[in-house]
Amino acid sequence: MSTLEVSNLNDGTTTLGTTYITNGAAKCWNSFNGTGTVALRDSFNTSSITDRGTGAYTTNFSSAMGNANYSHSALGARSNSANQVGVFCGNSGDSSAPTASAAQVNEIAVTTYYDIDLVNNTFHGDLA
Amino acid sequence: MTHGHLWDRLAEAKTRLDPVQSKYRVLFEDPATPDEPAKVLVPDPNFMAAALEGDILPPIETYQRDRSVLDGQPKEHPYAEPIGAMTEEEAIEYLVQKDIDPSVWRDYKGNRTILKIVPVEMIPSDRSFRNAWRIMQ
Repeated sequence: MSTLEVSNLNDGTTTLGTTYITNGAAKCWNSFNGTGTVALRDSFNTSSITDRGTGAYTTNFSSAMGNANYSHSALGARSNSANQVGVFCGNSGDSSAPTASAAQVNEIAVTTYYDIDLVNNTFHGDLA
Repeated sequence: MTHGHLWDRLAEAKTRLDPVQSKYRVLFEDPATPDEPAKVLVPDPNFMAAALEGDILPPIETYQRDRSVLDGQPKEHPYAEPIGAMTEEEAIEYLVQKDIDPSVWRDYKGNRTILKIVPVEMIPSDRSFRNAWRIMQ
């Protein structure tokens, strides 16, 4: 593998700093089945996920983030539409707070957690 | 030759290694939250591929030392020299030490079994009573 060391890219008209690319790239993502036998479908920079109970999961990073102030986007798909559900990330105010090495995602309808058929997570931020 | 950042090695590895679905899962209970159900650690297939390939992942000791590093301070594991290939069993033990709190796998002194490495077939696929799961003693 060879390395190209450049700080800017130019297409003939516009110059773009490579920091736009490194800062803008997702540092971790994964997609997994949250029901039945929980299993990862595909991922990047994920070492494992933890199934913590009904509708509660944790993503563990292979290469940790620099701090817990990263951005976490999550989408869940659920085939049973009988209950309106929302997906939320760990809250910095309680025990589900994200850390530099792991982040939680939970699916909830009113006060009850539900398993998610398909969970998609994306993380943006600075690496350690 | 420099070994670069772990994230870069993972990105390069993903372009050439086929994912490896592990035949194991790790069941554990957290002694700090005894009312919560047993948890199931699911190894990532791309991580397993990197572990089995070698020269990608850092020594497990670097992750353990980084547990005490404050946010925003430099961490050791992204820049540590990578280790060689592991067997699947060694990779699972590596994951236990990396992704499960030491209070479960190192510090627990109770009589109950709170951690088991099991074949994936032993994990129930019926999750109707998922929040009642406990490790069978």
